[in-house]
Parts: sequence; C-alpha cells; structure tokens
Amino acid sequence: MLLLPILLAIRAAEGDADLVARLQRREPQALGDLYDRYGRLAYSLILRVVRDTGIAEDLVQETFLRVWNRAQAFDAQKGAIGPWLLAVARNRAIDYLRSAGGRERNAVEFEETDHPALYIDMEQGILASDKARRVKRAVEKLSAQQRQVIELAYFEGLSQTEMAERMGQPLGTVKTWVRTALKNLRDELGAAAVSA
Amino acid sequence: MTCAELQDHYELYALGLAEEPERGEIRAHLDRGCEVCMVEIKRAREMAALLGGSAAPAAPSPRLRRRILASVGAGEHSFGWAAFLAGATALAACAAFYFAGRERQYFDEARVLREQTRNQIIQIARLNEAFAILNSADTTVTSFGENQPKPKGRVFLNPSRGLLLIASNLPQAPSGKAYELWFLTKGGKAVRAGMFQSESDGTAIDIARGAMDMKNTAAVAVTMEVEAGVDAPTSTPMIVAPLAAASQ
Repeated sequence: MLLLPILLAIRAAEGDADLVARLQRREPQALGDLYDRYGRLAYSLILRVVRDTGIAEDLVQETFLRVWNRAQAFDAQKGAIGPWLLAVARNRAIDYLRSAGGRERNAVEFEETDHPALYIDMEQGILASDKARRVKRAVEKLSAQQRQVIELAYFEGLSQTEMAERMGQPLGTVKTWVRTALKNLRDELGAAAVSA
Repeated sequence: MTCAELQDHYELYALGLAEEPERGEIRAHLDRGCEVCMVEIKRAREMAALLGGSAAPAAPSPRLRRRILASVGAGEHSFGWAAFLAGATALAACAAFYFAGRERQYFDEARVLREQTRNQIIQIARLNEAFAILNSADTTVTSFGENQPKPKGRVFLNPSRGLLLIASNLPQAPSGKAYELWFLTKGGKAVRAGMFQSESDGTAIDIARGAMDMKNTAAVAVTMEVEAGVDAPTSTPMIVAPLAAASQ
C-alpha cells in the first residue's frame, strides 16, 4: 500500500514521450492526459504535506500549470515528465508550508526548475516495481528516528537544524540519523540497480 | 571540491538538506554539466521520488481537472451548464409552444361561445318581438300555401308593431342568395321589408318591425334574391299572402 500510487503509474509512464511532445505543441488536452496519469499521485503527495484538501487542490493546480509553462525544457524523445512533476508538486507544497509557517525558503527546492533534464529517463527506474519494493523495504528497516527525519525532510522540507529543534535532539545526532538513513536507502537502490 | 568529495551529499541535496559549501559546489558542478554529478543527482532524485510515493493514496475532487484545464483555456466536452441550459431552453420553448397553442385554442373556443351567446340573445329578442306581435289583440293572421306542398305558413300583422312571418317547407337558399320580404301595395308596388334565411329544416321566422300602413298594403310576398337585396323583385314570388285586413 505504501508505494501503490507509484505502482499504479507504471503503465501510465510508457506514453510519456508522446505526452511531452504534445505538451510542447501546447495541446491543452495533453495537460488533461498528464493530469489523468499523475493527478492523484501529485495530490496524494501534496495532501500528505499540507494536510488540507482545499489547499492541496490549489497546489496541484499550480503544479500542473508550472509543468505546462515549462514543458519546453524537456526532451520529447526521452520523456520522463512524471518524476519532475512530482518534484514540482513536493516543492509547491513545502513552499506553502514554509510561507504559512514564516520559515525561509530552502534554496534547493527550486533546483528542479534549473535542471529539469536531470529527470530524463528516470521513470525507467523510479517506476520499476522491484526497485520500489526494495526502497519500501529499506524504509521499513530504518529506525523510528531515521524514518522520522526522512519524512520531516521530504514531506515538510525541514533542514537538519530545524529537525533538531523540532525533535529536541542535538544537531549532530540528527545529522547522523539522516546520513545513516540515506546510506541505507542508497544501498538498497544500488542493489536494485545491479539486479535490474 | 571534487565529485568524490561530494559523494555523500547528493541525497542530502536532493532532499534539500545539503548545507554550504557542499550545496553550492554541487550546483556549480551541475551548471557546468558535470556528468558524474548529473548521474548522481539523477539517482538521488530517483530515491527522493520513491519516498514521495509513500504518501497515502487520496483522490482530489472531480472538478479539479476541469479547473486545471480551464486555466489553460481548454473546455471539457462533458454534460455541463451549457448542455443543461440548452435543454432548459428547448424545454421552455416546447412549453411556450404548447401553452401558446392552448391559449389559441381557448381564445377560439371563447370566440365561438361569444358568437353563440350573441346569436342566442338575438334569437331571444326576436322571439320576444314575435310573442309581442302574437299576443297583441289587434294582430290579424293570414295563412298562405295551404293545400300546397311548399312553402306554406302564416303572416301575423300588427298595425303598430309590424309583421311576423312564420313559414315552412322553404328550400335552402343557394350560396349568395337569400329570401327577401316585400309589402305589395294596393297600387301594385313592391316595397322592401327585409332579408331572411331559412333554417336547415326549411322553417323561417322573419319580422318586419315598425308601424304598418294597413290601408295601402294588399299582400306580402317573398322572393329569392341576392344576399344584399334588391330594390324590386327579380324573380317569381315563392310566397304571396294577401292580407286579411286589406280585404276588409
């Protein structure tokens, strides 16, 4: 259940190259098709961050408009618009949280618009169910603290300093949890890449 | 910094956790197209995207899709307000047409009823006049057409009220024709006394109102003439009734 949205998008990603080409030709119906493929996934992600259905829908709309306006940055032959869209969705949601909470923006949240090409070909790996299962298992293997810092980082966009304040733990301890969690996940992904 | 020195910071960068100076170094590598860093960042973002899939599945409202498409100027081909309004307009048109037809029907029926009422009022007035002539003590009666197959009837003559003609066996006047009543003077002149039509059963009642010149009127006659009437008879009289008073 944890990775069900991604698994559901496996088939949808197969036609992304054609979809990107249509978006670049400014065909409005292509945006409808993009929404049909990734709308629920983006909404689930944003709702997990902001925890308000009305705000989540507004942010989903912002996300798709941003992708619509920046579709020219993609290579239509290679596709891979879905992961980029999800990154935009996450950043819209975290940006909202930071604005609502009076926090400063984290500079890295805008990276996805500077280097959208880095998402090309990503869905071949991101949507592979075997790899998704491996990451799921890796997340489950994390300690409670490690899992918490990953979720605070991903779903709330907290910096390590902010996580330390939130959790009432020394910054060094939080950094250790983060690095350990990421290493475990990386190792899992690496193993998946070898086995793929 | 070298790519090797940044090795432990790619995931931190992808999650927004990288700190300076590593964050700036990675960005600089990416900006100059460092292939090693681009591959590593792809991998790190792949992992981050997988983390995003751990959110509990949720479904937005159906109208969100329409909102998004409308924001880029694309309408949805669905049954919406336009179709609803078109249907409502068509229904209203049908209702207007139906009620307009009913209104015309009611109007026509009212017109017929008004015509019938008017005719009945006229008939009642004529009958009252006829009864007045019949009941007057000074009214005299003359029969005509007796022992003839047609037409036959009676003429009631009152000096002050006028003449009442009651006839039967009158043939239906052809289209454009009507019966004309004449007073025939003793001098042989025919004086117009009015037009009338027979009923479908061949009966007819006609009244010539006003005081009668009893001394100079020898008879009454009826001819078939054009509906507008003529100044002098143009056909052989169908009825000729010598007045009893004239013979006195």
